[in-house]
Amino acid sequence: MQKITRRTFLKGAAAAGAVGAIPVYVGFNQFVQMAEKSEITIKPTLCNGCTNMCGMFVYLKNGRVWKAEGHPIHLKSRGKLCARGHGMVADVYNPDRVPGPMKRVGEMKFEPITWEQAFEEIGEKLKNIVDNYTGNAVVWMEHGVRGKRYADILLDFIGSPNYITHYATCFTSKTNVWANMVGDNLYGDHENSKYMLFVGRNFAGGIIPNGMNKVLKAKEKGAKLVVVDPRYCELAIVADEWVPIRPGTDLAFFLALAHVLIAENLYSRSFVRSYVEGFDEFWNANRNCTPEWAEEITGIPADKTRQIAREMAGAAPESFLETGYHGLNAHYRNSVQQAQMNVIINALLGNMFKKGGLLPAAELKLGSLDLVAPPAKTKGPRVDGAGVEGKYPTVEPSRGIPQLVPQLVEEGKVKALFIYHYNPLRTGPDPEYQKKMKNAELVVSIPTDWNETSLHTAHYILPESYFLERTELPVSTGGNITHEHPQVAWRQQVIEPVHNAKPLLEILQGIAAKIGARRYFDFTVEQQVKAMIKPLGITVERLAKAGCLEFPAAVEEGFPLFNGKPNLKTPSGKVEFSVGNYKVNGFSGVPRWIPPQVMPQGDDEFRLIHGKQPWHSHHITCNNPYLMAITQAYNGTWMWINSDRAKKLGIKNGDMVTVESSKAKKQINVRVTELLHPDCVWIPSAYGGFSEKARTAYGVGINYNDFIPAMVEPIAGSVMGQEVIVKVKKGRV
Amino acid sequence: MANYVMLIDASRCTGCSACRVACQMQWQLKPDMAFNWLEHREYGEFPHAKLAITPVQCQHCDNAPCQKVCPTRATYKRSDGIVLIDHKKCIGCKYCMLACPYEARTMDNEKHVPEKCKFCAGFVEKGEVPACVSTCMNEVRLFGDLDDPNSKINRVMAANNVYQLMPEKGTKPRIYYLKR
Repeated sequence: MQKITRRTFLKGAAAAGAVGAIPVYVGFNQFVQMAEKSEITIKPTLCNGCTNMCGMFVYLKNGRVWKAEGHPIHLKSRGKLCARGHGMVADVYNPDRVPGPMKRVGEMKFEPITWEQAFEEIGEKLKNIVDNYTGNAVVWMEHGVRGKRYADILLDFIGSPNYITHYATCFTSKTNVWANMVGDNLYGDHENSKYMLFVGRNFAGGIIPNGMNKVLKAKEKGAKLVVVDPRYCELAIVADEWVPIRPGTDLAFFLALAHVLIAENLYSRSFVRSYVEGFDEFWNANRNCTPEWAEEITGIPADKTRQIAREMAGAAPESFLETGYHGLNAHYRNSVQQAQMNVIINALLGNMFKKGGLLPAAELKLGSLDLVAPPAKTKGPRVDGAGVEGKYPTVEPSRGIPQLVPQLVEEGKVKALFIYHYNPLRTGPDPEYQKKMKNAELVVSIPTDWNETSLHTAHYILPESYFLERTELPVSTGGNITHEHPQVAWRQQVIEPVHNAKPLLEILQGIAAKIGARRYFDFTVEQQVKAMIKPLGITVERLAKAGCLEFPAAVEEGFPLFNGKPNLKTPSGKVEFSVGNYKVNGFSGVPRWIPPQVMPQGDDEFRLIHGKQPWHSHHITCNNPYLMAITQAYNGTWMWINSDRAKKLGIKNGDMVTVESSKAKKQINVRVTELLHPDCVWIPSAYGGFSEKARTAYGVGINYNDFIPAMVEPIAGSVMGQEVIVKVKKGRV
Repeated sequence: MANYVMLIDASRCTGCSACRVACQMQWQLKPDMAFNWLEHREYGEFPHAKLAITPVQCQHCDNAPCQKVCPTRATYKRSDGIVLIDHKKCIGCKYCMLACPYEARTMDNEKHVPEKCKFCAGFVEKGEVPACVSTCMNEVRLFGDLDDPNSKINRVMAANNVYQLMPEKGTKPRIYYLKR
């Protein structure tokens, strides 16, 4: 029988006969009748497809997940969900979940054990490690920060300072800079803006559904949207202009924007006078950064830079440079300085704490349950050196430097590792290097599926309940987009557990019982929830039913003042263009031009850049059959390459090419396109799965982490994930 | 009786494929079976190049070629405009798949029926909108009753120029696209 596939209809269909008489399974009317007879229940919870935790309603039919829809109140979803949200609810039934606790018995071989045995053995090993090497040899690593609340109790008990997150591969430069320069995070008020400049931030790729909705609402009201990106990212589709930039040079573009604002006297003098510290130091250091100077570096015509600066100033304060996320903030040697420029440009526009500009998140003060704290123990300096004098003093200790952990294991400084919902073997640099983690004396992974880190390094795998199977603590919802009123939202258990997995609290209670720490975990989630919502004056029942509730207090405009004086959480209370903390540690306080660490030279050399596809959250969703089917439908694993560059190398659309760096040599098909800067090749960050037990992801595509060594940016500790040059050759070489 | 139509503003689509998976969940489809999809078209030269995405699905044609070629009348049209397939009558001959100029049909290899978008029949009568419509953050799609003078789709259709896909085929689709 001839297989009929759906070709693109624009090309027209070539008709061919194909006949097969096949029995009928079930009629549509029967389906409707069956569906109508089934009992349907609808429960609210929060999505786990990325870190935005969108509110959603999950529909159950006969106790089984049917579908999901966006929560109409929740400020991130507002009734909408992206593809991830739908795919995530279906994935609870993924056959590649870890069904119960596992113990390693060989190279990639595990045997199921009981929870009791797991707790017993892990407890004993952990106790020995702490006795022999102190708690300083114990590390808790996680995506961050969902496990922190419980992990902290364990770390406090054993005396470990080593809580480490994944943020070095994400927005670590941004949070470091904003904490130092503004003392707070501010977010674009997209809906009320008149001019939005997005640089290296693909709002349509890393998605907040209501965020995109707000951007389009602003556009309907006449706002202008400009996207600066080496790649024509999905956001560029709805932009008024796409301005391609040479990757790694965003800092030069920002310096030139600031130059126009200042040199042409377009900036908000009143804002700078009242609320900025260090303006002169910044301007004196960067007087030569003209648009012409930047054009040589960025490839953006000087006139275009001038136009953007003038238009932004014209629309100010209802204009902003989007404050960003992952993009640019873990990518280059100059990531911290470009993040500083983000603060400076917005401050020059005088848009901070203003409608249509930047606003803080509306937050709710939640209560907390009084717990018995473990006796205070002296903790040594952090093993990764984050915030430690003489090592990485300016790196935020609350984020840590995860890419150092394999090396620390090798050096014998880390003996026990807990890895919670984190997969550094695939989402951190250089997987072969990451594998060194398995040589610690104890490696415990707490995932939901058979990720690379669990399969290749864990001694024990303790599966956590899927997000639909567990109840967590309520959260004050906010961030990355603005919303007038604060909200509380709650991830609640929606279905009965499919497997023998446990929520994190129960896992830690089990381990704690074996090391004499059970009394510090002597509480339930229900007790915590009750204590947390107490100040809100609502009942648990009400929140359980609603899933998300909004409160009347409103975000107010206006710079924070105390006794009439600027009152930001910075040393001066003002926005600080020069960071004292950087200065005293030997760095420049103000941003200055720093070129990228590496540049492509030859005809076959490219900078390897990456980004989020709109239906994947980096690698975490890569074993999801529904989301991977989208990848398959649109050749989603293909590497993008600029048409002119491809032509010179004799590469045609769809060709297989070899990509090589000092770290790896891989093959992948290419998409030859006009939508990418000639200096780089682009791959989505989702692929390159190498866990044989995560079968949907296994062997599909390549990952940028294969090609980069483990590096540390000295100020914020990022991995500098785009400081890598690859050679691209046609075919398999 | 309602007169269901859909209006698609393709210029707002950023290709996230939420519509695809929302529909798959609604109808409990396998991962590789989808009732809607995106056509990508790149045009222009660097640095002025652009990408346009057009969401496509069964057009619920008033003059449906799939209905005409069906030897068992399994494919039928309801009076509200929705084109459906009676699984009991379908013999899986796939004539409809070949006849559809939009290639909107996809073979359900479990039920052995060439399936397609159902305009969420069974849901829309109750006042719901199709899953592809309700999930979309960019509000690319609008669904409604053209016979209801107060419906949003009526207002928007009246105020804007629209076009249909492949009008030369004479299929009279019920999906309209906003002209930009």
